[in-house]
Amino acid sequence: MLIETAIIEENVRIQGTERMLEGMLAYPNEHTEGTALIAGPHPFLGGDMRNNIVSSLFKALASCGAVTLAFNYGGVGASEGGPADWPAVMSKFWKSGTFDEEDDWADDTGSAMVSLRQWCDLPPILLGYSFGCWTTVKNLRDSCAKAIILISPNPKQHTFEQLSNCVAPLLVIHSENDFTCNVSETIEWFESIREPKTRIQLPASEHFFRGHEREVTQAVLTFLQLNHVLETEKHDHNH
Amino acid sequence: MTGKPFEVFLTGATGFLGHYMLAELLAHPHVRCRVLLRSPVSKSSARLTRLLGEIGLNLPSLIVEGRVAIVEGALPDSLRPADISGVDLILHAAGNTTFHANGSGEPAKTNIDGTRAILDAAASAGIPRFVFVSTAYVCGEQVGHQLEVFRPTIPQLRNDYEQSKWRAEQLVWDWGQRSGMATICRPSILFGDSRTGRASAMKGLYLVAKATEILARAMDDSREMDRHHISLRILGRSDATCNVVPIDWAARQIAEIALEPATESSVHHITNPDPPTHQEVKGWLEDYFDIAGGRFSDATWPLTDANHYEDLFYSLGNICLDYFRDGLTFESQCAAKLSPGRRLIDGSSFARCLKYAQATHWCRTPSGEKDIHPPSDSFDPTWYFEHFLPEAVPRSVVAKVEELTAIVQYTITGSIGGSWISRFDRGRLEETNAVPTTLKPEFEYRLSYEDLVDVVACRKPLQDVFFHGSAEMFGDVERALKMVPIIGEFLKEFPVNGKENPLMECRTGVAC
Repeated sequence: MLIETAIIEENVRIQGTERMLEGMLAYPNEHTEGTALIAGPHPFLGGDMRNNIVSSLFKALASCGAVTLAFNYGGVGASEGGPADWPAVMSKFWKSGTFDEEDDWADDTGSAMVSLRQWCDLPPILLGYSFGCWTTVKNLRDSCAKAIILISPNPKQHTFEQLSNCVAPLLVIHSENDFTCNVSETIEWFESIREPKTRIQLPASEHFFRGHEREVTQAVLTFLQLNHVLETEKHDHNH
Repeated sequence: MTGKPFEVFLTGATGFLGHYMLAELLAHPHVRCRVLLRSPVSKSSARLTRLLGEIGLNLPSLIVEGRVAIVEGALPDSLRPADISGVDLILHAAGNTTFHANGSGEPAKTNIDGTRAILDAAASAGIPRFVFVSTAYVCGEQVGHQLEVFRPTIPQLRNDYEQSKWRAEQLVWDWGQRSGMATICRPSILFGDSRTGRASAMKGLYLVAKATEILARAMDDSREMDRHHISLRILGRSDATCNVVPIDWAARQIAEIALEPATESSVHHITNPDPPTHQEVKGWLEDYFDIAGGRFSDATWPLTDANHYEDLFYSLGNICLDYFRDGLTFESQCAAKLSPGRRLIDGSSFARCLKYAQATHWCRTPSGEKDIHPPSDSFDPTWYFEHFLPEAVPRSVVAKVEELTAIVQYTITGSIGGSWISRFDRGRLEETNAVPTTLKPEFEYRLSYEDLVDVVACRKPLQDVFFHGSAEMFGDVERALKMVPIIGEFLKEFPVNGKENPLMECRTGVAC
């Protein structure tokens, strides 16, 4: 029997490196259980804290008891900063798919981790979606997470060396027809990384999981339950 | 009928069918009409003036003569009892033809709530007769011979539009049991005027014709394929029929039914007793556009292995003849009055309608005007892609994205839609052409006309349309996605609301 849990949502400010970031914090109005941080996709590719996958995970995790933080990278929404020379940066991004200023967005994720830890001193569940996988992993330290969840990582584009810094259970979710990185490339990379790890391949949901948000969320919650990170069956996941 | 004025309250007068019905009603000298027009009435009456003018009526004169009175309001919210007080008949033709419900609440808001509101008002005011314009397709999935009766049980319906019309019929029929005489008229698919080819809205079969024109234009330039042996699958059966009726005939039938005294509630099919088959329509289109070669196929939409010509033909979306069906006939007292052997639509009247459609750029140009202008009350994608973008992009931040080299297709679905391809070279917009064109796009954005209007006005972020809406990307999706923020920056720099042109504001120094 699923029980719906009312959640409280607050707009929060996060002190970043030389800039303030906007965030959303959600938590149940009664019992809380752990914390979670969600890093969204690339700001140039639809990455904000209201992205379909970020929103779905945000509500589901908070409903399951986690004090959950999502945030906007610098220059997105009400967050300060962002690339100064936009045409030049965009030009580089168009040509190569990456640019130097992306490191600032990885720093933003680190700042969000620090803030969440200050508000609630527990190792969080760290979740990254797409570009957010890289910004999350780039900030991994020893014992800094209770679990790590990477959705649609792109190992062709980014390196994930820092995964070995943290031994928390790792879940990788990817789609069988992700245009950014095909299945065999994802599996080859997955096999090369450290244990403990779990891989879930979802059918035909491309990179964006449009219309498949619920399957992604359910896979995350099941993983967290199996690893005793969250007692998810007490709560309603239909958000 | 006596010489005593007979007063009709008409809704939907600015619609395709509505203004023709108004003309038919006014052809009876003893009839006076009150027409419900939306606010601002200056705009809606200007539209009605234009529409009536195109069929030979002068609205200002009719108002002065007391034949027509304008009532400002909208259903379901703003109809006052006084607006309909004393009329002999309500002819409710206002409708919304959105097939699938979206966030706007349509088609239920207009078709169900609107009908309920006017029925309530009619009951309060003691109006003796209510005539409702429904659709022949409230029969839904049923096949066989459809009788002119109200169906008290809901059939299997195929979309929200049919559902809303069936619900509205139910409300009207119930009203007839309690409060007065209810008459339900069910026209089939409306086509152009049988005498002139004129139409003020072009959906349904017109989309098939427009797609054929796109194909024919491509064949003008093609060296790869013989225009009389085009490799094209047409989704449908050759012997299925296409129940279309000329707008002038349908309007006359409904007006006559409405003005005929009624002794009981009734249902009337305004349908074609001898509708053309797919094969006939195909032949008419081939003759008109001088192409041939398509074959009927039982393949299903969407085609996953479409060739270039099929991509062109289906670039307007799924035009696979949803309403052109086999094994469906209609009882119709109106049709029974037709002279033996007379067809409502034949090859020559069909060609006349196509000629009119082309002359008006598929209804984008009001008759009598030679230039392409957007409809007076709406945003025109042709203007946006072919005129506005070439002027605005060079002044925008896009021009500074020096690595931007891409060929992009934008396909706007819907009756005011179309497809355009732009070629960018190192940030410069080199050309934008309507499809068909020889440019081969690397990727395509496909979105509805409604989404486009919101996106260009910056009411809806482009990325939201893709991540939360119904828009799609095709081809090299990764590059399409990378271009979204570039387009987003452009939209922020040059938002367009309706027909407002921000470039004009720049020239006058109002805002730049």
